[in-house]
Amino acid sequence: MSRPGRDDAPDRLYTITGGRSGAGPDNPFDLVTLVVAESEPATGMQSEHAAILRLAEFPVSVVEIAAELALPVSITKILLGDLLAAGRVSARHPYRPAITDPDILEQVLVGLRNL
Amino acid sequence: MTAPTHPGDRPSPRTLAPTLALTAVVSALAVVAAVTAAPASVRTPLALGASAAALLLCAAVTWAVHAARTARGARRRLEAVSQDIGRLLQQQARTTEEARQEQQRLIDELAQQRSEFAESFEQERARVQEDSGQELDWYRQENVRLAAALERASRERAAAIAAAGNAAGRMQALATATLADLRGMEERHTEEDVLADLLHLDHRTAQAGRLADSIAVLTGARSGRRWARPIGMESILRGAMGRISGYRRVRVHSVSEAAVAGHAAEGVMHALAELLDNAANFSPPTAEVHVYVEEVPAGVIVSVEDSGLVMGDVQLRRAERAVSGDTTELGGLTGTRLGLAVVGRLAGKHGLKVSFRPSARGGTGVLMLVPQDLLTSPVGDEPAPPKAAESPARVPAAADPAPVHESAASGESADLAESAAATGSETAEAAASGSTAGTGSADDENEPAGLPRRRRGRTLAEAERRSSPQPEQPRPAPAAEDARVRAARFNSFRQAVRTAAPDSAGAHGTADETDPYAPTPVHDPAPAPHPESESEHTSHPHAHPEGDTTS
Repeated sequence: MSRPGRDDAPDRLYTITGGRSGAGPDNPFDLVTLVVAESEPATGMQSEHAAILRLAEFPVSVVEIAAELALPVSITKILLGDLLAAGRVSARHPYRPAITDPDILEQVLVGLRNL
Repeated sequence: MTAPTHPGDRPSPRTLAPTLALTAVVSALAVVAAVTAAPASVRTPLALGASAAALLLCAAVTWAVHAARTARGARRRLEAVSQDIGRLLQQQARTTEEARQEQQRLIDELAQQRSEFAESFEQERARVQEDSGQELDWYRQENVRLAAALERASRERAAAIAAAGNAAGRMQALATATLADLRGMEERHTEEDVLADLLHLDHRTAQAGRLADSIAVLTGARSGRRWARPIGMESILRGAMGRISGYRRVRVHSVSEAAVAGHAAEGVMHALAELLDNAANFSPPTAEVHVYVEEVPAGVIVSVEDSGLVMGDVQLRRAERAVSGDTTELGGLTGTRLGLAVVGRLAGKHGLKVSFRPSARGGTGVLMLVPQDLLTSPVGDEPAPPKAAESPARVPAAADPAPVHESAASGESADLAESAAATGSETAEAAASGSTAGTGSADDENEPAGLPRRRRGRTLAEAERRSSPQPEQPRPAPAAEDARVRAARFNSFRQAVRTAAPDSAGAHGTADETDPYAPTPVHDPAPAPHPESESEHTSHPHAHPEGDTTS
C-alpha cells in the first residue's frame, strides 16, 4: 500500500472540505447521480468547485467527477453538497428504465448468448 | 726693606729712643774723650769730625737697630704666616681626607645598596618568572583543555545535529509514506465514519510531518519533499493549512493564479504553515485567521492576519530578527518556539521576505513576499499538457464551448490548470496509459458521443505525441505487438458495447444522452483506480504504459 509519488498534490482532503468528512444525511448524491452546473465558475471560487462546474457543464455523474478530480467519492459528495446548497448545480438521478425493463434485459441476454 | 710691611710690624720710634740715646751717650763720651786727649791743634776739626762721625754712628746704629727689629718682625710674621699656611694645609688635607672618606663611604654604600637592590630584583624577577611560568603553564593547560573541550563539543554538536537531521529525515519519509497510505485508504473507504477517522489521522500525521520538517530545516538537512512541478498558490495555501491544528479557522482570500516552482514549493508551504500556526495559536480559539494573496511586481505577497495578541516593539524586533534569515545559530531555541526560526531558515534559503506589522484586525499581520524568481506561470510548461488535453476534449463534446474554454484559458485557467495539474494529470495520464492508447484513437472520430475519459486520454496522448515526438518514437517500437494486441482486444470490447448500445437506443429512443453515461460508472471505477495504483508503482505513468495494460 506504500505508494511513493502517488501523493503528488500537497492538498490534504480535509483542507479541501474544510474539515468535514461526511456530507450529512440529506445529501442527495450517490455514485450515479447526474450533476449539471447551473452557473459559470466564478473567480475566487475554490478550485475544485470551479472544476466541478466546468465538468458539469453537461450532465455528468458523481463518480465521473470524482474520477476527474482524483478525489474520493465521499469528498466529491461534500463538494457537490456545497455547490448544491449554493444553487450552483442541480442533481438528478439517471433515468434508466432500460436497466430495469425485463424485455431489454432479455434481449441483452439473447444478444449475449448469440455472441 | 722696601717690602710693604704691616704698620704694626714696623718698630715704633719710641722703642728706638733708648738705643738712640745710648748710642749718643757712648759716642759723646768717646768724642769728648778723644777731643780732650787730642792735641789742641787738632781739637777743633777733630771735634767737628768726631761729632759728625758720632752723629753718623748714632744714625747708623739707630737704623741698624730699626732694621734688625723690622727684620725680626718680618721674620715673626713670616713664621706666623707659614704656620697659618701649614695649618691651612693641614686642614685642607684633613678635609680632603674626610671628603675622600665620605666619598668612599658613599660609594661603598651605593655599591652595597646597588648590590642589594640587584639581588632583591633578581629574586623578585626569579619569583615573578616562576609565577608567570606556572601561570603560563596553567593557562596553556587550560587552553589545551578548553580547546579539547571545544573540539569535543563541536564534534558532539555536529553529531547530534546530524543525528537529529537524520532522524527528522526518516520521520519525514515516514510521515510522507503514511500520508500517502492514508490518502489511499481515504480513496478506498467510503464509509463516512471510517473516512472521518482517516481524515483525523491524516491531519495528525500532517502535523507530525511538519514538526519533522521543522527539525530537518533547523538541522540543515534536506527539507521535506520535492515537488516535480509548480504548485498553484491555492494548493500552497491549503498544503500549509493542512499542517496546522487550527486549519478550520483559516480563511483564504486568494484569486492569485501564480504558482510556486516545484523546488521552492515545499519551503514556501512550510514557512506559511509556521506563520499560520503562529497566527492561529496566538489568537483566541474562536477567532479567524485571514490569509490574503496579492500579486505585486516583485512577486506574490501572502499576508496572514490574526486578531490575537498584538506584539510589542521588542517582540516585533525579535521576530523580525528571527525571520530575517541571517542568523543561523541554534541558541535561544526553545522547544515550543521553533516556528520563527524555521521561517527564518526557509526565508534565507528561498529568498522570502517576511515582515511583521500590527494588523487592522487588532492582532498581528505577517507579510511574506514570495519573490518573482520562485514563481512560474500556472499555464506554463508543466500544467499546459493537461489543459491542452482538456480543451480538445471539450470541443467534440459540444460545438460551442470553444469560446468558453478560451475564457477559461485566459481567465480562470489557474484553477483549471491547477486542478488539471494537481488532480487531473495523473488520472488523465493514467487514463491515457490505461485505456486509450488502443481504442480511443479509433473510437472517437466515429462516435462523437463517446466517453469523455477516452477522448480526454486520447487527446492527451495525441498532445503528448505532438509536443514531444522524440520520446514517442521509441515507445511503440518495442511494444508494437502489444499495442496491436491491445487494440484488437479493445476493438472487440467496443464492438460488444456498440451492439448493446443500439439495442437500448432502439428500444428506448429517449435515452440518447443517458445511455452513454450509464455505462460510464461501470467503466470508470474500474480503470480509474487501476491505473492510479499502477501509476504509483511506476513513478512515470506513461513511461511504460504498455506494461500494465498488457499485464
